[in-house]
Amino acid sequence: MNKIKSPSELEKLRKEILGKKDPKKPSIVICGGTGCNALGAQQVVTVFKEAIKKQDLEGKIDIKETGCLGFCEKGPRVIIYPEEIYYFQVQSSDVSEIMSKTIIEKGLVERLLYTDLVTVEKAKNISDISFYKHQVRTLLQNNAKIDPKRIEDYIATGGYSALAKVLYKMTPEQVLEEVKKANLRGRGGGGFPTGRKWETTRNASGEPKYVIVNCDEGDPGAFMNRSLMEGNPHSVLEGLTIGAYAIGSHEGFVYVRQEYPLAVENTRIAIKQAEKHGLLGKDILGSGFDFTVKIHRGAGAFVSGESSALMTAIEGKVGEPKPKYIHTAEKGIWDKPSNLNNVETWANVPLIISKGADWFRSTGTEGSKGTKIFSLVGKVNNTGLVEVPMGITFRDMIYKIGGGIRFGKKFKAVQIGGPSGGFIPENLLDTRIDFDELRKIGGMMGSGGIIVMDEDTCIVDVARYYIDFLSQESCGKCVPCREGLRQMLNILNNICAGKGKDGDVELLEELSEFVMDASLCALGGTAPNPVLTSIRYFRDEYNAHIKENYCPAGVCRELITYYIQPEKCQACGICVRECPTEAIYGGKNIIHVIDQKKCIRCNTCLDVCPERFSAVEKIPRKSLPLSVPPDTKVVRKR
Amino acid sequence: MSEKKHSILSQLQNNATLSKSSLLLRGLEILERYYTLGLDQPLIRFELRRLEEEAVHYAKILKRIRRREEAISDLVQELRDVEEIMEKYGADKNALIQILLDIQTRNHWLPKPHLMWVAERLGVPLARIYQIASFYKAFSLTPKGRHNIRVCLGTACYVRQGQKILEAIERTLCIKAGETTSNGKFSLESVNCIGCCALGPVMEIDGQYYGELSATKAVKVLSNYS
Repeated sequence: MNKIKSPSELEKLRKEILGKKDPKKPSIVICGGTGCNALGAQQVVTVFKEAIKKQDLEGKIDIKETGCLGFCEKGPRVIIYPEEIYYFQVQSSDVSEIMSKTIIEKGLVERLLYTDLVTVEKAKNISDISFYKHQVRTLLQNNAKIDPKRIEDYIATGGYSALAKVLYKMTPEQVLEEVKKANLRGRGGGGFPTGRKWETTRNASGEPKYVIVNCDEGDPGAFMNRSLMEGNPHSVLEGLTIGAYAIGSHEGFVYVRQEYPLAVENTRIAIKQAEKHGLLGKDILGSGFDFTVKIHRGAGAFVSGESSALMTAIEGKVGEPKPKYIHTAEKGIWDKPSNLNNVETWANVPLIISKGADWFRSTGTEGSKGTKIFSLVGKVNNTGLVEVPMGITFRDMIYKIGGGIRFGKKFKAVQIGGPSGGFIPENLLDTRIDFDELRKIGGMMGSGGIIVMDEDTCIVDVARYYIDFLSQESCGKCVPCREGLRQMLNILNNICAGKGKDGDVELLEELSEFVMDASLCALGGTAPNPVLTSIRYFRDEYNAHIKENYCPAGVCRELITYYIQPEKCQACGICVRECPTEAIYGGKNIIHVIDQKKCIRCNTCLDVCPERFSAVEKIPRKSLPLSVPPDTKVVRKR
Repeated sequence: MSEKKHSILSQLQNNATLSKSSLLLRGLEILERYYTLGLDQPLIRFELRRLEEEAVHYAKILKRIRRREEAISDLVQELRDVEEIMEKYGADKNALIQILLDIQTRNHWLPKPHLMWVAERLGVPLARIYQIASFYKAFSLTPKGRHNIRVCLGTACYVRQGQKILEAIERTLCIKAGETTSNGKFSLESVNCIGCCALGPVMEIDGQYYGELSATKAVKVLSNYS
């Protein structure tokens, strides 16, 4: 493969690749992302390949593995082209039916189509699926068409033409102006204007300058960056190269967390292929511009995703943050000017260049332009990655796209921004998702993880979970974060165990203020957000825990217990067997009773009690009825 | 004495051309003879003695019954692998974390002799390596079991009762998260987001993902592993 030496050669290659594709040729596209792999996608691919071979259809049907399409709950996902039929939850046992019914007879396998939850209709096209209908999948749509291990696919969809335009038709200053005009804001959580960051780095003194892709994605519940890095690494590399040109950098780093092995592998392959084609490395596209990229794997520390900490980690040291009065844009890696942006921010850059800043500004709100990918997870029906224009309301996100709350339960709260974000109660569901709007109500956009909670989630418990997580991930350098979070955790643990005292909530607020104001980095600075918003909007839950020793959601272990209703128990003996601490007494025809002293409240008895009996119930500890006398016989219903 | 040992001995005697680490490696190979050479390298002798003790201790941790010489030659083989890993990154100090990640992937933990070797070769204090190994969660300073169970406790999986899955496994295996079973079969740890949030609660064993779990399903999965 010869290196591409000019934009016209790139165009020629693109036309060649497109010419080889026959739009009418049937092809089977299977999602090979981590989510679908977890549900058996690799076996589906193997069985399809075997079936094609057996029926002598090799060469007549293409089979392709692509990146993550975001609807992981309904994976493995298979798309049949050219009809664009979407099948969900495909198992290897379904392959033969798909082969005979759809490939050969050109019919549909109805049970594998998406069933709308409300209308119970089968969706024939993707535009019929409520999950996708309301999305604007600018960044993610190409995941369905590209095999991340083949650069030709990316070139065929128009890839690298933005880079060609930048290198031959624009000066670095013009690129900078375009990005500033588009008002692209960082998608990693801070929302800082990207153009301004690039400009600071460009104007800072010191050589060499570095550009960095932040694919650490430490926020639990977020997997947007995984999907982009796994499914379309070239879009990020192209954006990075354009940014490097604008800033004047010749060396770049991609920091990927090692918990994403597929993303690491696909990025490695992408870099190698781009270098082979002359789209990375020396003399890119024959323009004389040099730029090399190295991969740096993370090693499992949440705090290392913070920009100054990440740069310290790239230097091979422990990833601890540095004080912020020195901007990393001026003194970053090895004290040289370094520009760090999130994966999604970089992926937006080629689109801004090809389609123009005005196109980008046409979506979104006044302060937040463009689209954003969110990961909608938790207690909704349709969980997955959602790409929407900024400004959509939470209500639309949860009910129109998410399909409402699972199992018909009641909505309680939605949490956005991970451990740095805040809880949004029901009365604020019409807030528009926008960087500035969220700050006003005490939350933060963060990386875009949206976790929906229902009536069975205890807000105090989730706040405690976040503080627990952050206190473990704290690097320990500064006292407010290290000690403050530990004390807050202590108080929250006591509240959840029923040992809360009057004044605890006020103490939490005071500690939060201290931690927020005095911490060195954003981990400590934003850690109190979940606690503060939970106190602000769900004060009654705290009161219930402290004053009444009662957990409204029935979650906090010390405040609930399990009780076998005597009138429903049929003495089948299953729970007696399954109880891990042998806490249930009873025998044939003798009502089963739980010994509260031995019960560890693990929920096993509730899980295993046969549905037709449903004798076990979870009740507040203080409402425990008087116990049934031992050896009481079961009253059998006829 | 065999031909090979003869040549190594003469190399050691003309040791001006060898780097300290090569010296150590070769010295280890013919340890029993080294002390009789009367070479004027007290520091090397001290290091060799230390590495020799580590080799025996290492064999004990891995529950390998070995004579002293076999333990040493086992260790020398593994240290050569570590050399290979370091060469891949050009023995660059700045790639320390990447080197440690590769050693962790290969051995499933970071044995002390390997860390001592890395410290020696890269010219980095051993304390700095321990600083990094104890800061990042990916590294383990104790041996892991044959199968490493990682239960996800990220927010999405937590809200879908991920904690109960972890507890069920803890009860079944009689260990807590972060520990290894006494027969060396399973190690258990909790992680903070594997990126499969839509399938929660999720568990990963040896690269195989299991989603949409309940406590009973998770325990059943364990019986597939020998």
